[in-house]
Amino acid sequence: MFWRVLKQMILRGRGRLAVALVALASGATASAALLNLEFDAERKFSRELRTLGPNYLVRSAVPPGSSDEPGAVFSEEALEPLVRAAHGDAPGMELAPILYVIVRSPGGETNLVLAGTWLDEYPRIAPWWSVNGVWVKDRADTSVCLVGQQAAARLRVRPGSPLELRYAERTAKLRVAGVVSTGGAEDDQVLANLAPAQQLAGLPGKISVAKVSVPGSPREVGERAAKLAPQLQGLEIRPLRQIAEAEGQLLARVQDLLFWSVGLILMLTSLCVLSTTLALAVERRADVGLMKALGGEMTRIVRLFLMEAGLLGAVGGIAGAVMGTLLSVWIGRQVFGTATSLRVEVIPLILAVMVAVALLGALPLRLLSHVRPGTVLRESE
Amino acid sequence: MFFRILGESFLRNPARQWLEAAALALGMAITTAALVTALDVGDRMAREFRRLGANLVVTPKTDTLPLEIGGTDYRPVEEGTYLHDEDLGKLRTIFWRLNLVGFSPFLEAPAELERGQNRFATRLIGTWVAHEVAVPDGTMYTTGVPETHPWWKVEGEWFPERPLMNGKEQEVTVKAPPEAVVVGASLASRAGIRVGDTLKIRIGGREIEATVSGILTSGGAEDQAIVAPLAYVQELTGHRGEYRRLAVSALTVPEDEFAKRDPDTMTRTDYDRWFCTPYISSIAFQIKQSLPGAEVRVVRQVAETEGRVLGRLSALLWLVSVTALVSVALVIGSTAATTVLERRKEIGLMKALGAGRGRIVGLFVAEQVFVAVCGGSAGYLAGEGLGYVVGKVVFGVPATGRLVLLPVVMALALVVTLAGSLWPLGRVARLEAAPVLRGE
Repeated sequence: MFWRVLKQMILRGRGRLAVALVALASGATASAALLNLEFDAERKFSRELRTLGPNYLVRSAVPPGSSDEPGAVFSEEALEPLVRAAHGDAPGMELAPILYVIVRSPGGETNLVLAGTWLDEYPRIAPWWSVNGVWVKDRADTSVCLVGQQAAARLRVRPGSPLELRYAERTAKLRVAGVVSTGGAEDDQVLANLAPAQQLAGLPGKISVAKVSVPGSPREVGERAAKLAPQLQGLEIRPLRQIAEAEGQLLARVQDLLFWSVGLILMLTSLCVLSTTLALAVERRADVGLMKALGGEMTRIVRLFLMEAGLLGAVGGIAGAVMGTLLSVWIGRQVFGTATSLRVEVIPLILAVMVAVALLGALPLRLLSHVRPGTVLRESE
Repeated sequence: MFFRILGESFLRNPARQWLEAAALALGMAITTAALVTALDVGDRMAREFRRLGANLVVTPKTDTLPLEIGGTDYRPVEEGTYLHDEDLGKLRTIFWRLNLVGFSPFLEAPAELERGQNRFATRLIGTWVAHEVAVPDGTMYTTGVPETHPWWKVEGEWFPERPLMNGKEQEVTVKAPPEAVVVGASLASRAGIRVGDTLKIRIGGREIEATVSGILTSGGAEDQAIVAPLAYVQELTGHRGEYRRLAVSALTVPEDEFAKRDPDTMTRTDYDRWFCTPYISSIAFQIKQSLPGAEVRVVRQVAETEGRVLGRLSALLWLVSVTALVSVALVIGSTAATTVLERRKEIGLMKALGAGRGRIVGLFVAEQVFVAVCGGSAGYLAGEGLGYVVGKVVFGVPATGRLVLLPVVMALALVVTLAGSLWPLGRVARLEAAPVLRGE
């Protein structure tokens, strides 16, 4: 009997229930989409902020009591733990060892800085650089270089020009692959691969510093750096405070912002849905009166309506959670160009909230237990 | 008669009208709060991004190539050209002067620190901390490193700055009393320097004494250096009134395609639009105009990340707002539909009593408009309040109230309620009176 009445109620009231279902499902869609986005925001924005470039610097440790040598170099092999980490437990970690040499220009009239590095890493480690010409794609290519735009203007070179640099008695003959605009100190420098710079300086296998871009949330970054520190013997790994600190603070702001706006939207959307389910319940007073007049027990009647409301909430919640998930994937694509990673816990959460809201909306029917059927029936005419 | 029925419908059964108005108010509050936040986020986050410090660097135009490695310029002091710090007040007269968060000039020279038996090769960096600048319009402006390099932390105190005398810089003498300086943390730990110590520094063949007022942690080359007042370093190096590099921190809007065009090829109106928008390129252009012989470089690392993150964040917030708006519209529409469906019998009765279709629709529309106006305005007020709170909590600065949103929100409320109620209304009004009354 109970199930038959329930079935009839749902079939008969199709129009109204469909309307309420739209409300529940759309509320759930928005909630699920926003929750997914909120959970993913830290990862997404910390990746965006990584375009600020390297956040750590590795250099040779200066022992206490001694002077800081600007020309201090260390062996390339000391970076082995970093290379291993980049291929292992810290994917996305970028690494660029650099050897700085102050060289003479072709005519011998100016000094300039030659930075020997892994040029193939730069499109990733410094994505804000723009190049006129071509990037160097191979770190083993000893014949090419990139020239910063100020340096290029001073040296009067263009992409394709030959460039001869001198250091002591040695010279390096390079070809300019591209002119880079960086907005930083590199605008005044010549950048080549590590091997020609080491050869020119007479320091095979040596580097001055290594710039490291450690990915992850501020906490993960700190942990990874702390884990790497003891593996780097005779070296120190130091955060570039300008980047590392600002990154953490900016990320915290973005998260606060999203947390509060998403939290408020979720709360208000649930209340909004609640008012719809309440409206539905108000409308059901006549039905309750009729059932009571026909001799129904109040607890049974209430159970019937709660069951109806619960089913409605469940269907709306599931439909909304699915649509919301799709929506968050789409928004992730639109905004970040990558899909939002999905959280499984969002679906049961949304389902629970929607069922709760639907039941809460149906609860006022219980207040009708003291109402005499006649009154309700007459009132609704 | 029309208005009596309208009044009665509200008085007789207030519950459903109020429920609908409440749903509407909640929905519009969400929409308003989301829009207020989305509209404000650009300005607020641009200010947050100033934590990254200077986004513009000014250097002399006809200069030799800087030999900058790891933030230190290894050119000899004699080499290259310099800029004059007396021009810096002019920066406060450019069109976007209020967008300048701060600026600080730098001049540095190699120095040697003597500490017992040990000697440490280091660099003496001269800059401003809270320096008073005389602006050509007669006002004063105080700026320095805390604005352009907010991540620099000083344990102890910054060195005191000399106030201006009659709007002019005070003469600096190298003689006693010893100048206060700030020592980089790495250098301090290597040489065992503490706050309050007196240092012996050799610079350019001269030997001077200085007291340590604080220890500086910057995470950059300054950790190995000694930072002193600019005027003092100028005096020591014989470059009175000169500096080599100026860091400027400015509030900007993200660059779009328009901003990337070359100003020389723009039409008059385009040029005016570009000049009057705080793009980083137009601020750089204005700084260049006000400082003779200067080259202005955009720190693209900062500017581009800022632009992209701001763009993505506001796009995200807009989409969040739209998502909330659409879902709220559906919820409210369905509430409106429910209240109309519920009143089929009423409509049947009206029809039986001879009311025309236009009459009935008019009555319901008037009712819905009333609900929309009440709910919409309440929602607008609540939404502004929420936006204020979110701004206060997240950024410490409340969001600006936007009266512009009131008509927008009202129009939305009307559209949503009418769209939600008209469809069932049209269906119900078409029905015959008798079957409806019979309950079929």
